[in-house]
Amino acid sequence: MIDTQLVMHGLAVKKLGSAASVAAILGVEEADVAPVLDALVAEKKAVNARGNFMLTPPAQAELKESYAGTFAALRENSDLTGAYDRFEVVNREVKQLVTDWQTMTVAGEQVPNDHSDADYDAKCVDRLGELHERAEPIVSAFAAVVSRFGAYGKRLEAALDKLEAGEQSFFSGAKVDSYHTVWFELHEDLLRLLGRTRDE
Amino acid sequence: MSRFTVGLDSGAGRARIGNKAASLARMTELGLRVPPAFVITTDVCRAYFENGQKLPAGIMDEIRTEVAKLEKDVGRTFGGGEHPLLLSVRSGAPVSMPGMMDTVLNLGTSDDVEAALAEETGSPTFARDTHRRFLEMFARIVLKATITELPRDATSADWRAIIEKGSGRPYPHDAHERLELAIGAVFASFHSRRAKKYREHHGIPHDIGTAVTIQAMVFGNLDHRSGTGVLFSRNPLDGDRAPYGEYLPRAQGEDVVSGTRQPLPLSSLEEQLPGIHVELLAAAARLEVDARDVQDIEFTVQKGELFFLQTRSAKRSPRAAVRLARAFVAEGIISEEEALSRVTSDQVRAVLRPRLAHDATEGATVLARGEPAGPGVGQGGVVTDPDEAERQREAGIDVVLARATTSPEDVHGMLAARAVITETGGSTSHAAVVSRALGLPCVVGCGSGCERLAGRTVTVDGDKGVVYEGLLPVVRPDEEADEDLRTLIAWAIPRAPLGVVRAGTDRDGFTPPEEAIDLDRAALAQLLAGKDRVRGAVFETTVGVMAAVDAGVRTIVVHRRLPALLASLEARKGT
Repeated sequence: MIDTQLVMHGLAVKKLGSAASVAAILGVEEADVAPVLDALVAEKKAVNARGNFMLTPPAQAELKESYAGTFAALRENSDLTGAYDRFEVVNREVKQLVTDWQTMTVAGEQVPNDHSDADYDAKCVDRLGELHERAEPIVSAFAAVVSRFGAYGKRLEAALDKLEAGEQSFFSGAKVDSYHTVWFELHEDLLRLLGRTRDE
Repeated sequence: MSRFTVGLDSGAGRARIGNKAASLARMTELGLRVPPAFVITTDVCRAYFENGQKLPAGIMDEIRTEVAKLEKDVGRTFGGGEHPLLLSVRSGAPVSMPGMMDTVLNLGTSDDVEAALAEETGSPTFARDTHRRFLEMFARIVLKATITELPRDATSADWRAIIEKGSGRPYPHDAHERLELAIGAVFASFHSRRAKKYREHHGIPHDIGTAVTIQAMVFGNLDHRSGTGVLFSRNPLDGDRAPYGEYLPRAQGEDVVSGTRQPLPLSSLEEQLPGIHVELLAAAARLEVDARDVQDIEFTVQKGELFFLQTRSAKRSPRAAVRLARAFVAEGIISEEEALSRVTSDQVRAVLRPRLAHDATEGATVLARGEPAGPGVGQGGVVTDPDEAERQREAGIDVVLARATTSPEDVHGMLAARAVITETGGSTSHAAVVSRALGLPCVVGCGSGCERLAGRTVTVDGDKGVVYEGLLPVVRPDEEADEDLRTLIAWAIPRAPLGVVRAGTDRDGFTPPEEAIDLDRAALAQLLAGKDRVRGAVFETTVGVMAAVDAGVRTIVVHRRLPALLASLEARKGT
């Protein structure tokens, strides 16, 4: 049985998602998550729209309120906060790289990347591979403290695998578990855990 | 007798010298001046791996001989001297793939060389910067050292100490040793994890190998008759016939890339060095005819001598892609088939995107200004809640989503919106990234107060980054009224594997359920099996059309024909 609060947290990170996608965030089985989500719906803490769940506003507030207590020890853990500081550095580079992937420069003007230049695309994928190699030890450091973060490492790698094999939507596609989608969820999870705010 | 290397004029094919060197060889063949170079062939790459990742015996002697020839050609000396020779070392496989080593520039520099270059160019800053950049590049790419940027105010001895610490080995002081290490690093990168994986996925044999091109560097900063620039054989933004370019006098390529100096229009080259300008334009025309496509040409002028560094097919805007495809057929340069293969359905969709009418913004009230983050124009009532956006859209109302920032919880609201605006965030923010992925007009960083626009009707210009009050007049380009697009339609119809009909008043044909838009190509094809005539929003997408082709559908009914026609041709090429 999985802790209800953890499922709420997973759903809060996903915002709107199926039992399978919440399970993927938490690195557990869908069958373990589904009954908890149904129970949350029964308690009016979540709504189910065509198989996609979402926390209700009061449940969101309740969850946010509980973080300071639940994660008090983690917020003091210097292994975790130190790793987070390193994450922030890589995060800035990932965001810039995703932008580079989506755009190209034509005679000094930024236009959407039409993926006609195999060299340019290959270089972007290369740079992501390098950033991933730098991110791996950071994600491992998170996982050493909170084991479920290991799931993000696997999902990032899966996205990179697909991308390197030529499936372009796995760079920054919004409708698939692209590298950017998973990266953003990881970031959201960390922000909630550590009580930080996003710096855009 | 050369066993390992060939010159650019050797006639060796792409398989032995790789793409980049083949392009340099072609320019040489066309009589254009290319900085002298030699190529270590892909045969050596194979030998390197058969040999347990060691360069074959005797290769360095041959390379010394080849470098000596370069020295003689350009009147400079490698590793020292009054006029030092710097080399570029680049990988060149017959197919471009990820994981291959980047170029190492300025190899050959050292403390003495820095001093000599400072003297020769009259710019100690340039010489020092060249030295530092080389060390950074060499440390990261060749020595695989984990270093951050080398501090600008440190001495070169400090730099080398940082590198020795970061790589765990002594810095090679001999220039030939550095060259040898760089060559080994190119070969090693051919078997990097990423390169191997890419070859496996694309069925490229592991033994094609990579070549290494070693080329003398030329200097665009020696005197007033030196400079560097880029020339497009036609305008890549609008497809106009006139060449388009930039020139930076007394500069190296890095000055252009780093943006420290603003390049000048091509006309300044015409004023300063008219002879070079004429030579350049003639070469551009020749290269364009040879490649049968618009060329993006990098050049350097060294003491009044024009050198060609690289030429390749130019990246272009969607509008230019459409215009150029038709123009090249009209000029008898390419066939209609080839013209169709040069335009993608996405590019046509971009050309057909609604845009503000001419003069539309005159007298319009600007409600907010921010950073343009997703191109296009979107209009609707401002909504600040993503759920509300979804509800209104389901009721058929156009909405613009305004948020302080966006996060994953907003994605379903973004999917429902015609445009997205945010108060904070830049071009790399979540809202910007997701909007571009979804093809939504987006303006970010509009400042506080955006959410107060709730309920007002606005026009969002994602190209300029402006939010206007009200519904400004918008032009929805008509593919049948655009001469370029109409021509492409006429060429595509007889070649398309299915009929594409413009939606009219009839309602004939199978319409898949709305959820079909989320299906992948195979699942959708299954859904369409046995259907003869189909219609619906899903066929305005590339995947939808490809699935229809797979399912053997005979006719699809759409609002815009050309994107569907092109997608059906793309489907036939196979994936």
